[in-house]
Amino acid sequence: MQKRVTMLSTIDDVTLMKVAEALGEEEAVKLIEILKNSDEITDDEIANKTGIRLNNVRKILYKLYDHSLVSLRRTRDPKTGWFIFHWKLQPDQLEGFILSQKRRVFEKLNIRLEYEKNHDFYFCYTPGCKRVPFEEAVELVFKCPTCGKPLMHYNNEKIVKVLTEKVEQLRKELGE
Amino acid sequence: MPKHNDLEQKAFQIIMSSGNEGLPQSELWRKLGASSREGSRIALKLESKGLIRRERELRNGRWTYRLYPKRLPASIDSIADCPCMMCPDTSRCGSTGTITPQGCEKLTDWLIRLAEGGYKILGDS
Repeated sequence: MQKRVTMLSTIDDVTLMKVAEALGEEEAVKLIEILKNSDEITDDEIANKTGIRLNNVRKILYKLYDHSLVSLRRTRDPKTGWFIFHWKLQPDQLEGFILSQKRRVFEKLNIRLEYEKNHDFYFCYTPGCKRVPFEEAVELVFKCPTCGKPLMHYNNEKIVKVLTEKVEQLRKELGE
Repeated sequence: MPKHNDLEQKAFQIIMSSGNEGLPQSELWRKLGASSREGSRIALKLESKGLIRRERELRNGRWTYRLYPKRLPASIDSIADCPCMMCPDTSRCGSTGTITPQGCEKLTDWLIRLAEGGYKILGDS
């Protein structure tokens, strides 16, 4: 009973599916749907049920396993002697996973924000070319290294603004 | 027993989705399709587990309880579209690595999209 208490998850199905989407695999959504509705399942069974190719099923499962979102039990096939992998969704890990992702994104965005604040940028305004910071622009004699057009000042006020907002939002959500 | 636990989880989900507003417990029974006896037991149980908070309030001349979640659901909405979320290069990304948060093009593109409030490409400003 005590174990079940901790199983009361603060994650709803919508969030679970969003995590699946964020894995960057369309098929991950289908796969998680199956995992959610079964207690323990082998990769073979998932492939049969979803029609996803077995190697892709495994690829997604390993990705989930990397983030501890699924657990794994190994048995040996008595006939062939091969390993059979039994997978299980770990919904109680989701909250921690989301939190750690948020923390990491928060760190990265914070570094970026400082950088954007402390630098002046120059840009040729050609789609596909890169912005360069002032120091680099001087070295390039204000000429774009890609397209050769002159580099002009780029106003990053808006970027700083959205970054600041995002960082603040994450700071609040993380309670820091 | 598992059936009862499912009901508890469902009740918790409903209370959580009510957010900071909370909801009167009678509304919870209605949404759950449970009797008030069953319902108040669940509410008490959730409270004893520290998952929700119950507050007495006067409603249409009767005392009832309003239920509030103690924790709001974890959501990834704020970072779902950020390229850093589950970025495959994350192990190589750092201030000294080949990929840095300062110079990452994926991040730049995303920021410019956000800043322009649409899907304009770099340099359209």
